[in-house]
Amino acid sequence: MFAVLQGAFDPALFWEYRVTLLTGLLQNLSIFAESAAVAIILAFIVGIARLSPRRALSWTATAYAEFFRNTPEYVLLVWIYFVLPLLLTKLVGMQVKFSPHLAAVIGLGVAYSGFMSETVRAGLRSIPGGQTEAAQSLGLSSLTILRRITLPQGIRRMLPEVINQLVSLFKATTIVSLISVQDIMYQVSMISVAEMRPVPLYTGAALIYCVVIIALQALTQRWRTRGWA
Amino acid sequence: MIENFNRYVLANVEPLLGGLWVTLYVCFWSFLLALILGLVACLIRLRGGFLRYLAIPYIEFCRATPIFVQLLWVNYVWPEIFGFPQTVTGAGIIALALQSSGYLAETFRSGFDGLPKGQREAAAAVGMSRWRVLYRIELPQVALVAMPLVINQLAVIVKSSTLVSVIAISDLMYQGLKIVNQWYEPIEVLTAIALAYFLLIFSISRVANAVYVHFQAKFGIAGYR
Repeated sequence: MFAVLQGAFDPALFWEYRVTLLTGLLQNLSIFAESAAVAIILAFIVGIARLSPRRALSWTATAYAEFFRNTPEYVLLVWIYFVLPLLLTKLVGMQVKFSPHLAAVIGLGVAYSGFMSETVRAGLRSIPGGQTEAAQSLGLSSLTILRRITLPQGIRRMLPEVINQLVSLFKATTIVSLISVQDIMYQVSMISVAEMRPVPLYTGAALIYCVVIIALQALTQRWRTRGWA
Repeated sequence: MIENFNRYVLANVEPLLGGLWVTLYVCFWSFLLALILGLVACLIRLRGGFLRYLAIPYIEFCRATPIFVQLLWVNYVWPEIFGFPQTVTGAGIIALALQSSGYLAETFRSGFDGLPKGQREAAAAVGMSRWRVLYRIELPQVALVAMPLVINQLAVIVKSSTLVSVIAISDLMYQGLKIVNQWYEPIEVLTAIALAYFLLIFSISRVANAVYVHFQAKFGIAGYR
């Protein structure tokens, strides 16, 4: 058993494939950055729309958020990769095809925009209503109120939760290998096929992810607990 | 589209329902295992003396490692090192349970932390043993406060369970992808599967929400959502 344990972790193997693995990690990071941007932009639009006094708008936004919050990311990715291009092709009458990378960005982006819109909504609602009423009585338009009063304060309160969501999003980027994005898990499985040694590779991958994410959490600790203050 | 729906979804309703059954089976057992592991890890972390230095890395590892990585790790590495699980279903159940046990341990811990310290002291003063205090006084309250989050964790398990199709457990996702690969007609099958998962997970989170509202109205406790 001790010999097996020793074989379970083999840094030399990782060093040998460092270029391949880092290329994979770069894919993860770029998908993370792009889908985070998509998620944050959509989350603000949807979160603000959910607070709209117009029923049709707020209901649509709520339905959007509930749908994407409650659908598994893997199913979304596969749906966007395989089904959405076909539907778009029928719609515009032109051949539409998504690269795996694009499908991954859209899929993770919309999935996490659902979670984050909840955060945006809660952050905006935590601003006392009296401020909005005071601004209205001064004759500010609702857009100005949002831009100058509720959003600047709300964003500070959203920050801890948004950073938690971003850490989850980073964890979720591991599944993009399933729609054949050549990310780090894809490279790990390729190497383990070539080397016939899955044990050290998967153990190493798990440990590396664990360390990276704990480090991320430690680095963002201040922002996750205290926000901007 | 209707025609395709009949052809690819309704004609294959049997394997799809079989897949749904496997999904529910895997989720049920991993949820149960996660509850037990989570409670044990939480108690060791809070009351286990020096053993807490084992429980803390365990919890942190479970929470910090992505579920997909854990799944592959348990599936490929555990049989070589620990000699189990022998089946892919076992590997899926263990991986899902590991991940959730970390989160549940933290949920329970915040429940324990929320209890007033005076309760334990009062119970000790009337001569209750530590175990008695735990299961007569602390656990019932922690269970109430944590219930909404625990049910939400079940929703997370169902969500993550889609990934077990990757290690060839024939769950709903696996059966759906099999039909897609057979006929190259993904639209109806994948949409139906996405909706099925959505309905399943959405109803679980509605239940969690209802429990939260109900408990708050009935017991006036500020539970966690």
